[in-house]
Amino acid sequence: MTLLFVILIPLLGALIPPLVIRSGRNACAAATGSVTLLALALLMSHAPAVFSGEVPKAGVEWVPALGLSLSVFADGLGFFFAAMILAIGLLVIVYARFYLSREEPMGRFFAYLLLFQGAMVGVVLSDNIIALLVFWELTSLTSFLLIGFWTKRADARQGARMALVVTGGGGLALIAGLLLVAQAAGSYQLTEILVRGEMVRASPLYLPALLLVLVGAFTKSAQFPFHFWLPHAMAAPTPVSAYLHSATMVKAGVFLLARLWPVLAGTDPWFLIVAPVGLATMLLGAVIALFKDDLKAVLAYSTVSHLGLMTMLLGFGTPMAAVAAVFHIINHATFKAALFMVTGTLALLASASMAGVPLFNGFLSKEMMLEEAAHTAYLGLDFLFPVLASVAAVFSVAYSARFAIGTFLGPVRHDYPHHPHDPPLGLWLPVAVLVVPVIAIGLFPAAVAGPLVALTASAVIGGPLPDYHLALWHGLTPALFMSLLAFAGGAALILAFRRVDGVRARLPPLDAKAMFEAASGGLVVACRRIVAALHDGALSRYMGVTVATLVAVGGYGFWSATHAAGARPLLPVTAPALTAFLALVLASGAVLLFHGERLTALILTGVVGVVVALAFLQFSAPDLALTQISVDVVTTILMLLALNLLPKTTPREGSRAVRWRDGAIAGLAGLGAAGLAYAVMTRNGTSISDFYLAQSKPGGGGTNVVNVILVDFRGYDTFAEIIVLGIAALAIYALLDPALKGAAVRRIKAMLPRDEAKDAHPLILVVATRVLLPLSLVVGAYIFLRGHNAPGGGFIAGLVVAIALIMQYIASGYGWAAERMKLDAQSLIGAGVAIAGLTGLAAFAFGRPFLTSTFGYLHWPLVGEFELASAMAFDLGVFLTVVGVMVLSLAQLSRVAHRVDPSPESRAPMDVPLEGAASGAAGKED
Amino acid sequence: MSSLPPLGAVLPEVTLAVSAIVLLLVGAIRGEAAANLVNGLAIAVLAAAGILVLVAPHTAVSAFGGSLVIDDFSRFMKALAILGALVSLILSVHWLNRERQSKFEYPVLILIATLGMCMLVSAGDLIALYLGLELMSLSLYVVAAYNRDSVRSTEAGLKYFVLGALSSGMLLYGASLIYGFTDSVNFGAIAAAATTPTIGLVFGIVFLFAGLCFKVSAVPFHMWTPDVYEGAPTPVTTFFATAPKVAAMAVFLRVATEAFPHITHSWQQIIAFVSIASMVLGAFAAIGQRNIKRLLAYSSIGHMGFALVGLAAATPQGIRGVLIYMAIYVAMTLGSFACVLAMRRNGNAVENVDELAGLARTNPMMALLLGGLMFSLAGIPPLAGFLAKYYVFLAAIEAGLYGLAVIGVLASVVGAYYYLRVVKIMYFDEPAEAFDPMPGELKAVLGLSGLFTIFYFVYPSPLINAAGVAARALF
Repeated sequence: MTLLFVILIPLLGALIPPLVIRSGRNACAAATGSVTLLALALLMSHAPAVFSGEVPKAGVEWVPALGLSLSVFADGLGFFFAAMILAIGLLVIVYARFYLSREEPMGRFFAYLLLFQGAMVGVVLSDNIIALLVFWELTSLTSFLLIGFWTKRADARQGARMALVVTGGGGLALIAGLLLVAQAAGSYQLTEILVRGEMVRASPLYLPALLLVLVGAFTKSAQFPFHFWLPHAMAAPTPVSAYLHSATMVKAGVFLLARLWPVLAGTDPWFLIVAPVGLATMLLGAVIALFKDDLKAVLAYSTVSHLGLMTMLLGFGTPMAAVAAVFHIINHATFKAALFMVTGTLALLASASMAGVPLFNGFLSKEMMLEEAAHTAYLGLDFLFPVLASVAAVFSVAYSARFAIGTFLGPVRHDYPHHPHDPPLGLWLPVAVLVVPVIAIGLFPAAVAGPLVALTASAVIGGPLPDYHLALWHGLTPALFMSLLAFAGGAALILAFRRVDGVRARLPPLDAKAMFEAASGGLVVACRRIVAALHDGALSRYMGVTVATLVAVGGYGFWSATHAAGARPLLPVTAPALTAFLALVLASGAVLLFHGERLTALILTGVVGVVVALAFLQFSAPDLALTQISVDVVTTILMLLALNLLPKTTPREGSRAVRWRDGAIAGLAGLGAAGLAYAVMTRNGTSISDFYLAQSKPGGGGTNVVNVILVDFRGYDTFAEIIVLGIAALAIYALLDPALKGAAVRRIKAMLPRDEAKDAHPLILVVATRVLLPLSLVVGAYIFLRGHNAPGGGFIAGLVVAIALIMQYIASGYGWAAERMKLDAQSLIGAGVAIAGLTGLAAFAFGRPFLTSTFGYLHWPLVGEFELASAMAFDLGVFLTVVGVMVLSLAQLSRVAHRVDPSPESRAPMDVPLEGAASGAAGKED
Repeated sequence: MSSLPPLGAVLPEVTLAVSAIVLLLVGAIRGEAAANLVNGLAIAVLAAAGILVLVAPHTAVSAFGGSLVIDDFSRFMKALAILGALVSLILSVHWLNRERQSKFEYPVLILIATLGMCMLVSAGDLIALYLGLELMSLSLYVVAAYNRDSVRSTEAGLKYFVLGALSSGMLLYGASLIYGFTDSVNFGAIAAAATTPTIGLVFGIVFLFAGLCFKVSAVPFHMWTPDVYEGAPTPVTTFFATAPKVAAMAVFLRVATEAFPHITHSWQQIIAFVSIASMVLGAFAAIGQRNIKRLLAYSSIGHMGFALVGLAAATPQGIRGVLIYMAIYVAMTLGSFACVLAMRRNGNAVENVDELAGLARTNPMMALLLGGLMFSLAGIPPLAGFLAKYYVFLAAIEAGLYGLAVIGVLASVVGAYYYLRVVKIMYFDEPAEAFDPMPGELKAVLGLSGLFTIFYFVYPSPLINAAGVAARALF
């Protein structure tokens, strides 16, 4: 279990520094340091086991149901990295204690540092890949906190953001990649995945998994083409840079490549992708580093270059190259961390190692790299890797020399913000500690680093180690010549630096950061444009997209499936059917043409309604026809009244092309709907109508099936519907109420044309409606009474009576009609609903459920055989509600119109001046 | 009067319905002055309904002839929807008072919409589905246009209504086709009849799903979302982004798994397509947004795409993933909107993302929590948003939908860009003037949501187990 605490101690220990900081900065640093030291000690307690070849494991279940566990294991690779992270962490803590000034919040800084440290150790020790991913992204987040610590500098901010976008995004890709790897291997435990390399490589998921994992690793380790974020992130404070950007975090990508080496490496795609990416990074980093004047920038690009070197070695996929990579990781960690905390002459040693000068450790691993590169052929090009690797080595020597010369031998600057002084012990001691292995390994590689390299490399390879020798002198190998060449070339480059720099200055500058900014800026602009085009706020476009999608999906479904024509025979085409069809087509087409003129369009839709009613008649459904025609009339009147208050024309929108496009979408959708209707109608299906037709008379006592359904079979529905209808009318009333007042009236007035008909109440219309009123009422009563057996019923009767009443409002004006309308519309609605409800309740009196109906027959003179059903009372409720609803809503509309345009109120029975009464009427008006 | 339906099982719904009517009367009688009273009572009612849902016995009840199904699944989703409604209502109090838009109709409409959601979640047949959907939607149309003096708000309401009516039409069309080809409206009976994917049935499913996609705002039926999110008053947007999404997703899951379990392959493709389109569009479209409400609109489109990945898997694990996703999504969204509601300067609401500049210095706590929420929305481990995505992607991979999972992760990479932009603006840009002090309830919601999001990974089991139990109820 102690292994688990190596991770948990720094994570939990992060709580300590902010608490201890009150006791002083030294106490704080000491507390932080002891946390790290404790973790390191715990790790080291496993050292004997690890070195003897065991793999210590520990773990607790986290969410067993999902295969999530917090399990860790320490093989050579993990152990080495964890040790490196903690050891360098300790040095960085000491360094930071002296680096941070008094004003800076040290407690917070150390807390973040410990969090980062815990996350980093978590990455390298995790056994469960989900835990690894979690720690992986935690390093991104905590590094963001650490970089964000110094937010005063604009470039630091940009750098931090870029680092986060690149590594965070890459981490997400890694999630997908590792999930695929786990799926291919059938396990979420690294220890199991590592021994199932064959299985993964044979899986069809291998390639996508590889690509995604590589994106994650390359972004984290700043490999080409993601190399640009690292140098800009180095605007962070020095201890952060030393820790994150050289020793630990950026190595995570390389670590992952090494970790998964037994699983993913050794295939063509691996070599073809990883090796050249590493090579390009190594070369690019070295070249750019040479021309940088800022020390930190030089170090940054040199780090990029070295990371490329390691990647390239791992990319070769041979065990020998893997050993070299491991060796270089060790060496680089020591000299680069030292360089970051550069002070005094010690740095000279470290930069010599960076250049690959013999007797320093950098020389040895570089030799091994060149040796590997020397006999690597890429796609049949056997000179590519040796030559380019040598060129990279040349530049590497040159920038190291420039670094050393510039720092220690260059002209003395006098513009330092503070007078440079000899650094305190705390600043140079960590560097000294790091420089010791630089030389020790350089001199006695096998003795000092041998066991560690063997341990780590065998964990990477996951099999027997190749035959290799860590020694200063290998004899006259190609690598040695390449090395010598590199030194000669490097020296030449330094001597000719001014000229070379001049050449570079004339070349167009290639700023990857600017390119990143431009690319992300371009992406933003492009996205904005596309979205603006897609979501331009126009409702017609939204509906167009919706309908077009359905048409496309429907079309796809139709063409990709087998289908046969329906079995039901078609009816013969009769002359009336053809006429109705043509009328329907013409009217619909005309609506399209005249839709801009709203009144015309409304009349034309009326034609459609009439044709539909005729169609019902043709198919022997007179009750439906009657319902249809009365509903049509009522809605037409309603809309006419509403249109009276609205502009009479619809403005034209969109260009001709847009209209054609919309027309095409609509046409296709119409064809699709028609096709579906046709398909359904030509098929035989069971219909519920048969049940109603059979049960109407025995069950409901009526032969008008529609009416029986309304008042009996589905009486519940009808009851609810009339309530809804009543509420709707009240809502219309309430919503139109504000239109009677102030601003709304003025707005409508401004909209209306002024030149209306001078004759507000045409004589012929007035006379006709008044004559028709009693007639309509009688017809309504008749339709109501016969409703249960013959076409008719309360609903239709209500509409007929309502139409007759509304015509009075239209013809004679609101004032005149309202004065004579003795029945209050609200009361009608209430009475209707109450009667229907009471009828239903009456059934309770007979011990039957709500709305049970009963019926008997009476013979009335003139009317004939007459059924007295309890449903009749219910129908009366429907009738009253419908009348009330229509009168209420339509009268309110005409009231608004009246308020908007107060034409002379008619009080007299006729406002047309008749002989004799003329003077009297006129007198009243005034 | 043979027997009463099992009203005990639908007690939460009955409570909501009766309370909505009573509160409407209270408002109507006492007038505008009662707005805050009604609001407070509505919050209490929602809390009570939530408790009733949670304490209900864990037995599956089928009420009203199979029209309503009360099982573990419906309990989970109802609790979540009610939570969303409850918290959005709590968040709205201060805002509406400041904007002088406090009216008693608002909480009543929220109650009615919640009632519709509960019906929707429990719907056991197509009729109950439609009734619940319309009850919810009609209330939503009204609240979208709630600020009727604002042109933006009324336009949003009108657009939502017209497009919603279109989608309702499609849904009805699909429902009638399904009924026509299976002779039943009950999900169980449909499942028994729908054993082979005939073309008519598939058409029905397509239309039905199109209607449901509209409600969860999945691409290409998402068009209303950005305009409505932006146009509606912010508390309304908060509500829109949480509770209705949960309810619509719940019914989506139920219809797909209970009515069409034997013809999974014919609808899996539809869901996979919609899911990919939503994830991709959500990710790319949000990049260029400057208005934070619009940004969150596209973000929610993307998140619905991620959640649908789990449905595409069509396995109990997948459904469990969707449930967990929705729960975490609701928590994150409520927290984010608490921040949006707190974006007020000198008494005026501001909605531009750039207004958050330098929040880390003017209000470090709010910046930290919102930052955590943004990282979580982006799906960065170990935050809750990552685990939400993990569950659905895992299910998709186990179901063999590798392409879907990979595209999903890549879309989340793109999505990370704009979430991180918000973090960058808060942490790295020059501070703008500080916001007005944050009201206590907003602080509480933001705090709870932020802490849940950040520390969910420590103890995820309860939610996973609850979601697992709920998901099994569908299979």
